[in-house]
Amino acid sequence: MTKGILLFCFDTPETKYHTVLERCVGLIKKNLQLEITVVTNYETFKKIKPLGFINYKFVEPELGNKKNGKEWRNVDRHLAYELSPYETTLVMDIDYFPFTDNLKQFLATDYDFLISKDAYDLTNRDSFDHRRWSLIDMVWATVFVFRKGAKAKRVFDMVKYVKQNYAYFNELYRVYGKNFRNDYAFAVALEHANGFIKYDTLPIRLPTLPPDCKIVKFTDTGVAWQYGDQINYTEGQDVHVLNKELVDV
Amino acid sequence: MDIGSLKKESDLSFDVAIAKRNALEKAHSRLVVVYNEHIFRADAETINLVKTMEEVHSSPFYILDTNNNPMEVSNSKELLHVLVERNQEAMSSYHQMSKTFEKRND
Repeated sequence: MTKGILLFCFDTPETKYHTVLERCVGLIKKNLQLEITVVTNYETFKKIKPLGFINYKFVEPELGNKKNGKEWRNVDRHLAYELSPYETTLVMDIDYFPFTDNLKQFLATDYDFLISKDAYDLTNRDSFDHRRWSLIDMVWATVFVFRKGAKAKRVFDMVKYVKQNYAYFNELYRVYGKNFRNDYAFAVALEHANGFIKYDTLPIRLPTLPPDCKIVKFTDTGVAWQYGDQINYTEGQDVHVLNKELVDV
Repeated sequence: MDIGSLKKESDLSFDVAIAKRNALEKAHSRLVVVYNEHIFRADAETINLVKTMEEVHSSPFYILDTNNNPMEVSNSKELLHVLVERNQEAMSSYHQMSKTFEKRND
């Protein structure tokens, strides 16, 4: 059974995501020790420094989605099933930094599709309680695991359908934001694919730093951040960093 | 104590409280363990359940994973070992962090 990690990375005019990828890959190699495949375009690939053995798959990102007025190339996650060369795949956002090996074990389960419903706000503000922003539970497409087979294929086919009709589902479930978010595309798809009953999830809360946290230090073992006049840090804990100015640290 | 010192103490307490809460969350994340293709929390409840079943029920017995899917336990000693090891790894790390918080509060 082949196992590996699939990452998506596309630079935008505003953000050099390839530098975020370089940090993420370094931590994957150190802590997860799994084969890596990066989905990218040639324009981004040219800027990535040599990272050792990595598979690359080239696709042109679908454009048009925006976040806070900036280009947001996040629309291609539905291709993960087709693009992954592995039988069991861990898909991760490149701004999710694995400072532990916690995620590795989830590739050794008999589940077909696992995703987390919860994020944990490291600043103690509980700012990720998104249930109030839609009629259905949100999932965090930041990290998910799937095993190729009929069930996972059905989920991805449903994600594609939701994506094609995103405006409709967005209205139907009264999702607060109008831009395309994988979190809601997967949430809607999982509800539909599972007959609107409870589905299997990863029993973890993704430790997350909200966008207004400035990263002041980034090492091999953890991050320090500033929020207002407070500075705090964490070590030996996975962290999802939402502030993209991380590339400048 | 003047108001400036009080504010400083308050800020420090806030920082320590957040760090402690995050360390506990880190420990909770570490308690999640995969055994025999199922996911469990290596917490007191799971450990007690497996230990009790081992003592009062003949092998095999059945327990639920975190998604309420059943698993047959045929080697309870091995499962108990995995759970206890993971539990103590997480708690030991949290204990060490707690000591540093005590120092910061002194």
